[in-house]
Formats: sequence, C-alpha cells, structure tokens
Amino acid sequence: MSMFTRNDKGPDPAGTKAPEKKDAPLTGATGPVATATVEPNRPRAMAQPLAGGTAPTGASVISRALKITGQLESSEDIEIQGQVEGDVRAASVRVGQGAKVHGTVYGEEVELAGTVDGKIEARKVVLTASAHMSGDVVHQDISIQSGAYISGHLKPEYGKTESNVQPLHKREGE
Amino acid sequence: MYAQLRSDLDGDAENLPASQVGKALRVTGTLDTEGELYVHGTVTGRINALRLILGTHGSVEGDVVAREVHIEGRLSGRVFALNVIVESTASVTGRIFHNTVTVAKGAHVDGRMPWRPPSYFETLTQLPETRP
Repeated sequence: MSMFTRNDKGPDPAGTKAPEKKDAPLTGATGPVATATVEPNRPRAMAQPLAGGTAPTGASVISRALKITGQLESSEDIEIQGQVEGDVRAASVRVGQGAKVHGTVYGEEVELAGTVDGKIEARKVVLTASAHMSGDVVHQDISIQSGAYISGHLKPEYGKTESNVQPLHKREGE
Repeated sequence: MYAQLRSDLDGDAENLPASQVGKALRVTGTLDTEGELYVHGTVTGRINALRLILGTHGSVEGDVVAREVHIEGRLSGRVFALNVIVESTASVTGRIFHNTVTVAKGAHVDGRMPWRPPSYFETLTQLPETRP
C-alpha cells in the first residue's frame, strides 16, 4: 500500500486503521480497504495550519486593533472590542469596554460596556457601569448598572412596533 | 501603518489581539487592522491587515492589503502582500501581487501573480487605487 503514497513516514498510524478492522474483521486484506477510506494527505504549503486551529470558528471577535466600516450580520454571537462604523446585527452582541459602535445594534441580547452612538434594538439589553449610550434603546427587558451613561429614550417596545428588524430566531407563539 | 508593518511580525503583532470573522458572520465594508485577522465567514469589501488568514470555509470578495496572506478558502479580488501562501483548499480569482508566493498542489488559482520588489509593498498606500 505504501508504494502508492508518497508519504515516507512508514505505516499508517494505528488510529486510522483500527476502525476498519472492526468493521471488516473477516476480510484478509484489511490494508487496501483502509487505504481506500483514508483520505490521502493533501499537500500543504505550510507545515502547521494557521486557520481552523484551536479557536472555535463560529464566534466572531472584533479585536481592539480592528476597525470595520460597514455592516456586520451574523446568526451567532459577536464580540466587539474595536470600532465599528455601521450597523451590527447578530443573535447576541457584546460591546466591550473601550469599544465603539457608531450605528445601530440589533440583536436578541445586547450587552454594552463600551460606547454606542446610535441605537440599540434588542430583546434583552444590559448596560454595564462603563456603558456609554448615546441614542435610543428599544428593548423588552433592560438592566442598567450604576454608572452607565444614557442619553436617549428607553422604549420598551421591542417586537411590538413595526420595524425593519428581521428577527434572527422566530419566537414561539407569534 | 506601514511603518509598523515594516517592523518584524513577532514585534507589534503579537501584542495586538487577533480578530476573527466567524463562519456565521457576513461583513460588508472595510476591515482595517494592524494585527491578525482570521476570516471564516464572508467578507465583501476591502481588508487591510498585517496578516490575513482566510479559513477553509471563509470567503473574501474584494481587495486585500497585508504583509502576509494565508489562503485556504475562496478569494475573489486583488491581493497585495509581501508573502502569500495559497493552500490546496483555496480557490483564488484575481491578481496576487507578491514578493514571495507559495501555491500548494491542488489549489485553484485563476489569474496572474505579478512579482513586485519589497519596496513596492512598503510604499503601497492603504487603499491602492492604481490598477496596475
């Protein structure tokens, strides 16, 4: 089998072969069966992968070194530590301390520890002590810690009024 | 920014936290960072970064200016980078302006790969408006 591969590392690691042996213990030639299922090593330009490493690829992080001008749309969570000039729409948005968003933040849950200049529209809103909110907050459930700055109206009208928000997850009973 | 880019990658970049566009995230606009950027989602627009890592399921449509670009996903547009690595899972349409480029066997590359001296990338403005 090894004559067909350019891999000179010797026999396959035991882990790749073991399941095959369990599946077909009676067949004498387990080797070719195993090689048929084992995907050949794709050639790589670099020794170790950079992407798809240990970090989960689902969550999004806008670090403090990143500035985005434009729109962000996600069906999952976004953590913002940097700057965003534009609208953010996600299931859950966390605007960290020192972060700035100039635009509207839409979400099921929004936690604000940084600055938002614009609007927040979310079912559940948390304004922490370091929050700086300039603009209206449309919510259903809000919590405001002592020290938070708010300049704008709080409207408990999330989901009641017509808006251009398209809910990411359709709520039950509606 | 490029004054900082000229410094070693191990220097400033390590102090800056990496940013990540998750696979469910779609960004339309400009992304500007002096650190690393991982893209597993979709970006339509321009990317300025020290280092861009485009993951297997990531997709970028637009121009990329970076010092180092590592492509495992889909990219459509121009790349301006000193070092470019195109992995076997990559699919690239457009031009890759580079000083050194590595393309793995199996990669789809449709376009030209013009070589440029290192000085070209140092003097490159953040927003390359020239269409060489």
